[in-house]
Amino acid sequence: MQVIGVEGEQVCMRLSPQSWMRADDDVQDICTSVLYSLADSASGLAVFAAVRELKPIATLDLRMDYLRSTAGHPALLATAYCHHLSEEVAFVRCEIHAEGEQQPVAVSNATFMRGTQNKRFQAAIERAGGA
Amino acid sequence: MSGTANPAQSSGPARDAATDIQRWQTLLESIPYARHLGLEIVPDSTGVQVHLPFREALVGNVMLPALHGGVLGALIEITARIAAQGEDAMECRPRILDCNVDYLRSARTQSTFASAEIVRRGRRVVLVRVTCWQDRITAPVASARVQLLLDTVSAANPKEAR
Repeated sequence: MQVIGVEGEQVCMRLSPQSWMRADDDVQDICTSVLYSLADSASGLAVFAAVRELKPIATLDLRMDYLRSTAGHPALLATAYCHHLSEEVAFVRCEIHAEGEQQPVAVSNATFMRGTQNKRFQAAIERAGGA
Repeated sequence: MSGTANPAQSSGPARDAATDIQRWQTLLESIPYARHLGLEIVPDSTGVQVHLPFREALVGNVMLPALHGGVLGALIEITARIAAQGEDAMECRPRILDCNVDYLRSARTQSTFASAEIVRRGRRVVLVRVTCWQDRITAPVASARVQLLLDTVSAANPKEAR
């Protein structure tokens, strides 16, 4: 998984499917869970792109819709953007396309809680700072 | 007449449970991504329970540290798929239509479990509720609903098949 680019509030990530990502030994489709991970990562990054600060966030929920088969595509592109940002919550949409195709193979909607630093996180920061 | 009076009868359900677990384990092992994550069926479970052993590679947030949300999503989807696959269904492979996960607590860097409950098994669509937990089942880290399309109709066009 690699980040292709961040333009404004839009994040683009690329994934080259490997054989260990397949949904079954006898099919070429990628396991939907890999698309889920891709959407989750791109969506989280889109929140950082939108807020322009590295404060911790937490996924509240994520909904994936799997629209088409992923078989036979050499690369997948995920494009995520934060379409609404409130004080506390970020709303993110993500589309996953097979490279070169117009129609998405999967779409997702996610919400993230902003500013979730807690005692555990502060302790980690202090440990990292002290080390 | 009670079932315990006849040893042959009482061993029936126990053997069935063992068969189920064997079938689920075989199914799990046929999924390359499940093998990659190291998923395994919990041996003494009633109903489908899947165990995700912890390893460093699964960490998503190194500061907290916490498991990657996508790994939890994978555990949930694969558990739902195993549960949705009916007994006679080696030829009928359920296809995941959508997956909606609510994250309830931060998932720590330790063993994680998921259990599935079939909410409704229709002729073409199965709705499964999946719960993920770490220390206690009463303190879930995530809860999800997953819809799967049974591949008996046309897998090529899910909208028409629905």
